[in-house]
Amino acid sequence: MIKLEHISKWVTTAGLRTFLLKDINLTINEGEFLSIMGPSGSGKSTLLNVIGMLDDANEGEYNFLGQPIHTLKEKQRSQLYKQYIGFVFQAYHLIDELTVYENIETPLLYQDTKSAERKAMVADILDRFNIVGKKDLFPSQLSGGQQQLVGIARALISSPKLILADEPTGNLNSKQGEEIMDLFRKLNEEDGVTIIQVTHSEKNAGYGNRIIHLLDGRIEQPR
Amino acid sequence: MIKNYFRVALRNLWRNKIFSGINIAGLSVGLACCMLILLYLKDEVSFDRFHKNQAQIYRIISQISSPDGKVNKNGITGMMPGPEFKASIPEIESFVRLQGNGYTIKHNSEIYDQPVLVVDDNFFSVFSFPLVEGSAANAFSDMHNVVLTEATAKKYFGNKKAVGQVLNLKNGDKFEPFVVSAVAKNIPQNSSIQFEMLVPMKFVQSQNNDTEWINFFLNTFVVLKPGTDWQKVAAKFDKVFEVKAADQIKQAAEKYNFKEKISFGLQPLLDIHLSTEYTAQNGLDKASNPVYSYILSGIAIFILLIACINFINLTVSRSLKRAKEIGIRKVVGGQRKQLVMQFLGESMILSLISFVLALVLVFLILPVFNSLANKSLAFSYLADAPLIIGYIALFLITGLLAGFYPAMVLSGFNPVQTLYGRQRFTGKNYLSKGMVVFQFSLACLLIIATIVIYSQFNYLMKFDLGYNVKNVGRVNVGNIDKEKLALFGNELMKNPAIEKVTANQGGRWGTIAQVNNGTDISFDFKIIDHNYFPLFEIPIVQGRNFSPDLASDTAEGAIVNQSFVEKAGWKNPIGEKVDFFYNKKKYTVIGVIRDYHYQSLAEKIQPQLFITNPAYKYGDVFIKFKPASIASVQPYIAATFKNFFPVQPYQFNSKELDTASQYESELKWKQMITFSAILTIFISCIGLFGLATFAAEKRTKEIGIRKVLGASIPVIVRTLSTDFLKLVLLSTLIASPVAWWVMNKWLDNYPYRIQITWWVFGLTILLATGIALLTISYQAIRAAMANPVNSLKTE
Repeated sequence: MIKLEHISKWVTTAGLRTFLLKDINLTINEGEFLSIMGPSGSGKSTLLNVIGMLDDANEGEYNFLGQPIHTLKEKQRSQLYKQYIGFVFQAYHLIDELTVYENIETPLLYQDTKSAERKAMVADILDRFNIVGKKDLFPSQLSGGQQQLVGIARALISSPKLILADEPTGNLNSKQGEEIMDLFRKLNEEDGVTIIQVTHSEKNAGYGNRIIHLLDGRIEQPR
Repeated sequence: MIKNYFRVALRNLWRNKIFSGINIAGLSVGLACCMLILLYLKDEVSFDRFHKNQAQIYRIISQISSPDGKVNKNGITGMMPGPEFKASIPEIESFVRLQGNGYTIKHNSEIYDQPVLVVDDNFFSVFSFPLVEGSAANAFSDMHNVVLTEATAKKYFGNKKAVGQVLNLKNGDKFEPFVVSAVAKNIPQNSSIQFEMLVPMKFVQSQNNDTEWINFFLNTFVVLKPGTDWQKVAAKFDKVFEVKAADQIKQAAEKYNFKEKISFGLQPLLDIHLSTEYTAQNGLDKASNPVYSYILSGIAIFILLIACINFINLTVSRSLKRAKEIGIRKVVGGQRKQLVMQFLGESMILSLISFVLALVLVFLILPVFNSLANKSLAFSYLADAPLIIGYIALFLITGLLAGFYPAMVLSGFNPVQTLYGRQRFTGKNYLSKGMVVFQFSLACLLIIATIVIYSQFNYLMKFDLGYNVKNVGRVNVGNIDKEKLALFGNELMKNPAIEKVTANQGGRWGTIAQVNNGTDISFDFKIIDHNYFPLFEIPIVQGRNFSPDLASDTAEGAIVNQSFVEKAGWKNPIGEKVDFFYNKKKYTVIGVIRDYHYQSLAEKIQPQLFITNPAYKYGDVFIKFKPASIASVQPYIAATFKNFFPVQPYQFNSKELDTASQYESELKWKQMITFSAILTIFISCIGLFGLATFAAEKRTKEIGIRKVLGASIPVIVRTLSTDFLKLVLLSTLIASPVAWWVMNKWLDNYPYRIQITWWVFGLTILLATGIALLTISYQAIRAAMANPVNSLKTE
């Protein structure tokens, strides 16, 4: 599904190149649940953003579902990730001005889904996540765990093949964290969604079926 | 999708009340100004368009060029050009003459002063003034017919049918009955031809048939055949004039030493209203200087522009708060185009709200605006297709102008940077600063203009005119001779509060005479009596005043002013002769008065000559009374007046107010500029307030750290304020030279003017920075007082 070859990314400050990612080679197959680990500043989030096409690599080749991403134009890329990728963030990143319902609906709006269909899809996912009663609340009226549930619901609404989660439990207490991780495992096992998560916790990494470690922009021990 | 945008936009507006309030306030004021100006302009260009034949109607104009190259342009002619040009030039279908005049009317033993328009019989077939009673064909079937407007008919006859009723018009010494033949609809306000009553020209001609070509006192309109090139017609005038008036031209040259060259032309009817060369006069009204249109439009556009700048600046500085939302929208699949649409939609909604509010504002301030702009515009004028299109265009342009740039900036944010909190404002944000400087430069420009106009106005009002008009009243007595004046004066003087009485011939007269044995000199001349100079406290600097006891004084004595002496080049003026060669009369100078400003200070003092020759009659009587006695003398004057002049309408005018009324145009400028200065400053300041609010928010963390490190509140307030104050200071520096130049240009119109001194700029700097500081300091102090614990914990 994903094939990264010799991916490097750097920033230049005062003529000096600082590598964020250096010569990353990585293949991820459909149905995998991959955990990326590593200390702060090791390039985990950068790698995730490159995979999610939010960021460009400076060098290397990136193939996603057989498409050479590094040669595509902005518009084609956004078309791709709109269709196949869902994002989950540590800080949830819900839109404060929108209700739970509207937050979940937003990706569908951008995909020009018809109104009736939209209603059915949002109702379906609210039901699945047991948050029907919260649909008219604003994010500030929810607990962290509930907000993250909404975040995941939003990521799933357009039935993506791949979910990218950047420390999804980082702001949650352990009980809430476990619930979220259980949800991810269920999605992976029952719905066959490919998941890539960035995490600090060995325990959370254990939910996945493969772990890579990053240090100073390099993959340390590919398994 | 659109519903969703709409909802988000409204929620955003509601949540950011300061932001929305500032923008809506600014934009609605700006839009209201522009709407008013559109109304004003529409009215200006609509003048006289309602006449069905307007494309064929032209006015005959005249130019009088003197040998020294001076050209005097006039929109008026005498009686002759109309009929004579029509007789000789086949393209002229018809002509109609109209002249403003006034008649004294007696009705039910009441006496009225009635302004009238004297017109030719075909008036109603040339101009489209609909009649409500009577018929156009029979309006002037008899020369003792008059036509009234509805309002005038109501004034004289109440709700009774006016046609067939009789009004008595004073002709010479007796009243003659005139029958009302028709009643016209009230005249639309956008008409150059305004009248209350029409009197037939043939009646005036029957009294005095003026066949002089070299005499200019009425408006002559011609109707050209359809499709005629009016310039070709105009080119034929001078030849006709030279042939038909040959004798008169020759006579004038011999008798009056008339050397001027007269030439005639045409002016399209629609050009009259805004013409600065050939203005509406002698029966035409409401002339308007297009400069007012330009300046008013300019100011309105600037105010709207400043409001748009507020919107742009505030939206961009607020964008950091919205960065996260933008990032999320992009991550979940929003394309830039879709985001641009969303933000543009938001600015459109804001403009729409402002637009509606602006309509309400227009409705509320229309009466004030009318008095300021000398108009009678009505809100109902809005029901007009081009105007509505104009307003919609105004709304769209405002929405786009204000929304486009922020939409581009906001939608360009990189989601990775915004979501990971790495978004920084790179660069120094020159655009936003530049726009603040632009706003405040305009505001300063208007502040300086206001101060200068105020000072000049004050200067004119307090100017020592060289004579005293305090406690002087003026009444118009029609036409009386010396004996009658003496009787009237004596009767008035019986009241102990009345100190002096004098009179002059009504109106302002200029003439030409010869001095130094044959040199022409033109001057203003006045018929007065011996009390004139003492009453107005005008000092005699050489010679003496007229003496009523010396027959030679009344017959051939003259007093001149210093300007006259100067122009005549006299070393010793007393005893010099002034030769009125055309009526073979010589006057001897017996005294010289100090120059005084008998006209508005917008004019230089002209040479003046005064005589008391009893051959002339008196029109205006001046009454000087003791200070603070006006209330008690007025009824006495009125009663005496009624006794002496039972058929003359009585009106008491204060000479002081007469003088002040010369400065109406200055007063209007003053009001207009003050008004716009206040608006500009207000809108600029609410913008600055918004910017300061966001700046304080953006720097909450910095302020928290500074406080923890020991910075005091004043230090923090200063840190927050200086950035903005520097910009305002820069604006005053930019505005000052521009304002200095512009205002000097304006002052150049006045022969008596102030000099712009440095304190004007000092005061402006003080005002601008003071107002700005007040605006900013609220936010700065609030931010500085905040507990650092709160601001630092949130990170």
